[in-house]
Amino acid sequence: MTDLSFDKVSITYRSASARGDVTAVSDISLDLPTGATLGIAGESGSGKSTLIMSVLRLLPKSAQIDGQVSLGGKDIRDLSFGQIRAVRWAQASIVFQGALHSLNPVREVGGQIVEALEHHAKGTWTTPAKRRDRMFELLEEVDLDPSKAVAYPHELSGGQKQRIMIAMALACEPDIIIADEPTTALDVIVQKQILVGLAKLVAERGISLLMISHDLAVLSAVCENLAIMRYGRLVEYGPSDQVCLSPQEDYTKQLAGAFPQIGDAESRMNPRTLKPAEVRRAEPFTMTDEVVLEAKNLNVSFDTRQGRERAVRDVDLALHKAEILAVVGQSGSGKTTLARSLLGLQEVDSGSQMEFAGKALPKKAKALRTFRRQVQMILQDPSGSLNPKRSVYEAVVEGLRVQKITDNEYARVIGALEAAELTPAADYLESIPQELSGGQRQRVVIAGALALDPQVLIADEPVASLDASVRGEILSLFLALKKNLGMSALIITHDLGLAWNIADTVAVMKKGEIVEYGDVDTVLANPQHAYTQELLAAVPRLGSQSLVKHA
Amino acid sequence: MSKNDTTAEANAPEPTPSTTSANAPVIDGAKLVRERRLTNAKKNWSLFRSDIPAMVGAIVLVFFVLIAIFAPLIAPASMLDVTKQLDVPRYAPPSLAHPLGTDDLGRELWVRILWGARVSILVGVAATVMSMVIGTVMGLAAGHFSGLFGAIVMRIIDFFIVLPSLLLAIVLSSVLERGVFTIVIAIGLTSWASTARIVRSQTLSVESRLYIERARILGAGHRHILFKHMLPAVMPLVLANTTLTVGSAIIAESTLSFLGLGDTSKESWGTILKNSMDISAATSGYWWYVLTPGIAILLVVLAFTMVGRAFEAIINPALRSR
Repeated sequence: MTDLSFDKVSITYRSASARGDVTAVSDISLDLPTGATLGIAGESGSGKSTLIMSVLRLLPKSAQIDGQVSLGGKDIRDLSFGQIRAVRWAQASIVFQGALHSLNPVREVGGQIVEALEHHAKGTWTTPAKRRDRMFELLEEVDLDPSKAVAYPHELSGGQKQRIMIAMALACEPDIIIADEPTTALDVIVQKQILVGLAKLVAERGISLLMISHDLAVLSAVCENLAIMRYGRLVEYGPSDQVCLSPQEDYTKQLAGAFPQIGDAESRMNPRTLKPAEVRRAEPFTMTDEVVLEAKNLNVSFDTRQGRERAVRDVDLALHKAEILAVVGQSGSGKTTLARSLLGLQEVDSGSQMEFAGKALPKKAKALRTFRRQVQMILQDPSGSLNPKRSVYEAVVEGLRVQKITDNEYARVIGALEAAELTPAADYLESIPQELSGGQRQRVVIAGALALDPQVLIADEPVASLDASVRGEILSLFLALKKNLGMSALIITHDLGLAWNIADTVAVMKKGEIVEYGDVDTVLANPQHAYTQELLAAVPRLGSQSLVKHA
Repeated sequence: MSKNDTTAEANAPEPTPSTTSANAPVIDGAKLVRERRLTNAKKNWSLFRSDIPAMVGAIVLVFFVLIAIFAPLIAPASMLDVTKQLDVPRYAPPSLAHPLGTDDLGRELWVRILWGARVSILVGVAATVMSMVIGTVMGLAAGHFSGLFGAIVMRIIDFFIVLPSLLLAIVLSSVLERGVFTIVIAIGLTSWASTARIVRSQTLSVESRLYIERARILGAGHRHILFKHMLPAVMPLVLANTTLTVGSAIIAESTLSFLGLGDTSKESWGTILKNSMDISAATSGYWWYVLTPGIAILLVVLAFTMVGRAFEAIINPALRSR
């Protein structure tokens, strides 16, 4: 079998740009004996992906590796190109981060699994018929229907694509599987299925697993040992339970605290962060009975090739002043469609009623524009929501110009940026989005919405694409906006922990319907609907390899 | 910011702290934007300067533009008057006395090239501008508006793409009144379709970006999205395409003049070629008569292309290493 070890590995990217050489990984020593499972946690830029890519020599030419990466006792640098090709996939294989983009969109997925077998026949799967059999065997192993072999990637859901990727990784019976954020883009229920499946395969076949993620809970649910990385250095290393439950380093504590444990009273209405947003009012606003935005009997349908599909069914919702409402559900449950209809961006079926401050939602372009001063939306991906060519000032001022608010333009922009806690605001005015971090970008997007003094903010997965430490900051900002300005917010998320962190009420959506709706404390502490219970059970818990042992 | 201050403010839902506006320095947001654009332009200029082929192209272009502008000063119009060239030898090969040789009527070829540059470059640039404007407008319209309107615009673009443009230009210039302006229209109207296609594809890809959705959420209408987001996004592409199209427009102008469809009273490089063809200069051994206008066309087109490629590389850094 094959052992993997990193011995004092440092990796530097040589760069001709002004940044000079960038050290991505410095002085890391880790061991992965046969059959072991190791998780590496860290935020973006911590060098974790660079480290694992070095195992199969997949780094670009500009990367210089010092120290020794050895696979089965051999230094990978000594292998010839032919030898490293043989090692790739046959001994060690990778499940890449973007499963959604790692599959060829114009080929059937079954054929793509067979492709890996063709390259590494190893004398076992020598004929097309044998390879075909092996492919069906693999599909069965990852719990996919054999009929999916002839499907194209776009016909599969995110979870199914991820399983195809795992099947490809298993194809040549490797000794080591390297998984790079295998579940990041997936919702909790699919995440649980994937993790359980992966853990089972690893346990049954004695494969070693090297998994990286930014989510400590996910890693601790599967791996025996955990390593925490930051700025390319190893911060903490030890058995999973010890690292998660009694962390030694501050940074580990911060990571562990970023994803709250539902039911833990300490994190209720208190997202953990080192930089909490300031509550400036002596008497902060709290949820009132005054209804701001209301939907009654809301239905949205789409015409698809298979016929009419109802994305949102008979939804009744009421958002009160200074209330934070979390709409929770799996991907495809119609959450985003619901939010878009509340903004008047989506055509709704007749019979649906939507009211803002007691008046029906306008239909005409001009009235809609005035309405959007009151209700603003923040989109999922802050990097995509900002025009890369326009500065922070231009991004924030855009709404004011569109709404033809011309007085005090500069003061309004500064005010909005400060309300979004991007201080000192004047320093950021000239930055363009690529110069900002993910959290800062999200603050700019929020400031752009705040500049219009809206009464309601609708946020679509506001923290899903952000790092764990930034997540707390942004969530605490939402809480502060509510307390300082009496703003109402409707937050769409697949993350129940977020609801536990900041929301007053929660609505659980399944297939376009709201199955459970009520106070966060009641719903999450004592879920009535089977689906809510399923969602809660799928949230990974810190420590104790929960998914492996209780699966 | 004091606590009382915020409490008072929060009652009127207004996140703009009055304190900030009071002591904020008078800063004009638009001025900051202009400054940033200026630094960007400077950076692009230094990138352009470091590109040797582009600089050579630019120098060649400046040279031709200068000789076109100053043609009346360098070589007075009388030098083209056939009646005043009676003592000049016809078909004189290039020599010190006649640097580029003379034609069948005793006119100096270098004078004709000088005057021809005026029409050729003017028509090339004017036709390109026309084609770019039409192409950008049609491309934006086809990409931004979905549904019936977008479909109709797209079919119009398709119509002009499949039409053999030279044929259409020939028909147009023979139907319309003769003149430089007609040639501009004939070339401009027939060469915009491919630009429209490029602009449309860029529009479609920008249209799906989240920041367009965000602009809609902010309440923006078609005009704001088209002019503030779409146009700046497609402009670099259009500009790069412009310099590449000028070359083909110059060739098209020469072709039309060569076919005798241009304004015969005006000099143009295509006209010189046509004259040389009329007296079978190539077979009679008067090589300078054919080569001189040919090389002039080649140089200008090549120069435009080299400059255009450099623009393209500045806009799209991924091309730089190729």
